[in-house]
Amino acid sequence: MAAIDIKLPNEKKTSVETNKHLSVILNVLKWIVLMFFAIYAIFPILWLLISSFKTNAELMSEPFGLPAVWQFGNYLNALKASNLGILFANSVFISIAATCINIMLAGMISYCIARFTFKGKEIIFVMFSAGILVPLNALMVPYFTIVNKLGLYDKHIGLIIVYTAIGIPVSTFIVRGFMNGIPREVEEAAIIDGCGFFKRFFMIILPLSKTGLVTAATFQFLTCWNEFVYSMLLTSSTKVRTIQLGIRYFTNQFSTDFVSMYAAIIVSIIPSVICYMLFQEQIISGLTSGAVKG
Amino acid sequence: MKTTKGDKLGITLFLIPPLALFALFFIYPVSYVFVTSFFKWDGISDAAFVAFQNYLALFKDPIFRRSVVNNVIWALTAGLIQVPLALLVALILSKKPRGWKVFRTVYFMPQVISGIALATLWSTMYNSEYGLINALLGVVGLEHLQKNWLGTTQTAFPALLIYWVFYIGYYMVIILAEITSISEEYYEAASIDGANKIQQDLYVTLPLVRNSIITCITLAMVFGLRQFEQVYLLTNGGPANKTSVMVLYLYKEMQNNNYGYANATGVMLIIVGTIVIVGVRKLFASKQYES
Repeated sequence: MAAIDIKLPNEKKTSVETNKHLSVILNVLKWIVLMFFAIYAIFPILWLLISSFKTNAELMSEPFGLPAVWQFGNYLNALKASNLGILFANSVFISIAATCINIMLAGMISYCIARFTFKGKEIIFVMFSAGILVPLNALMVPYFTIVNKLGLYDKHIGLIIVYTAIGIPVSTFIVRGFMNGIPREVEEAAIIDGCGFFKRFFMIILPLSKTGLVTAATFQFLTCWNEFVYSMLLTSSTKVRTIQLGIRYFTNQFSTDFVSMYAAIIVSIIPSVICYMLFQEQIISGLTSGAVKG
Repeated sequence: MKTTKGDKLGITLFLIPPLALFALFFIYPVSYVFVTSFFKWDGISDAAFVAFQNYLALFKDPIFRRSVVNNVIWALTAGLIQVPLALLVALILSKKPRGWKVFRTVYFMPQVISGIALATLWSTMYNSEYGLINALLGVVGLEHLQKNWLGTTQTAFPALLIYWVFYIGYYMVIILAEITSISEEYYEAASIDGANKIQQDLYVTLPLVRNSIITCITLAMVFGLRQFEQVYLLTNGGPANKTSVMVLYLYKEMQNNNYGYANATGVMLIIVGTIVIVGVRKLFASKQYES
């Protein structure tokens, strides 16, 4: 017994020491991992941003240096050479319109699902879940045919309708989640006061689900702004095309003027980044509200 | 809450517009794709019923088989490498090290940028003449490794996969939120039992965030099957169709007015996607019964 009593403290000491070494190594590894992914995520974008202010000669000779003189003219060149202004305006118009209509429709259907029981509610739920997971890219031919038959090919309204529709399942799941959280008592009090269906929806439910609507709108806006395949498939003229499609053509238009091309890409990224900076918390809560979990 | 007559009218009016759009852009197109996949059809002349000929032709085409294999590799890379990396980073950030919110913001940033902008950015990275990667290799004295990354058969597909696999923000945010919602009590109990931080991660955190990991793996694999923009812009399937994927194959057939055939490809995409979703659920569900 006595021998053990003497030995124990020693053993403890060495194990504490090895633990210390281990935790130092783990700590270093931890920061290496964190920094690696951070640099990977941000460095290419920063490089693009800085390069967009260089001259083409600087870009070739010193790809990692800062520009000697910041060339804001690159942005003017990009605007002049590529119809960037029109493409940008198209994207803004289409994305905002498709977001507004989508959120309105998602709010309407969410209210019905969250508050009432009716036939087919379960089916709607299952179909919308499936709708989130359907690979929309597999539906290129039917989308093309539908839009053509409706006479909406190469029209703003065509893209607006398509974007509104493809976002309905995701938006509905997000908004419904928030509406479920609104206490029923609020509405019951309104019924006693004689509020009808529409008044309750517009005056009580919509204002109370503002956070959910903003979250869904953020996702919907990003989806619309970044969409490429259907913009390519359903439009053909510069009057209608979106900026994502523009990027595809910048590569040809600026075949030797790289810095202007970079400027054009930066312009196309800015709205997404601003949207992210403003609504980061909503994006994170939306991702985790179970909405995207299918 | 009681449903009154006025409510019924309201519900009907509220359901019709969104459901009509859903029917027009989800239900109708999916059925349409399935039906027309059994026809030979160019979009102009009448469609001719050909039964399974489109599918037989698909499987005979080595480019289609290559596309499926590429998609499967892509999906597996996403599910087995990208998501575990995201999990690792989420575990680290869940301890709230200094600046963890900044890291979270930075990691998620590429997710809000369009696939086409990222692809263009990376095509300039990989460019053989002025690209950043060759420049970096030059700086560290590895000139002999410089090559035309996207134009060489051996490196083209790995180059497509690699740039994207380290963008873990999306899955990291989902898993991190799940971890931070775990009650402190579990960890207190575990540390009383003498579990160190790593043991706590392995035996407390991991089992509790299992569902969000399964969700992430499912989503990652489904996204892997849908890849289009990156491939279209970076290689357009080349060199020698080595980097083709199913959606790109579909797109090219559609451009050739082989509508029925293109839709057969679409059906294959939906079927492979369904197999993946069901497969992942089954795989992880059965493990639950064992333990």
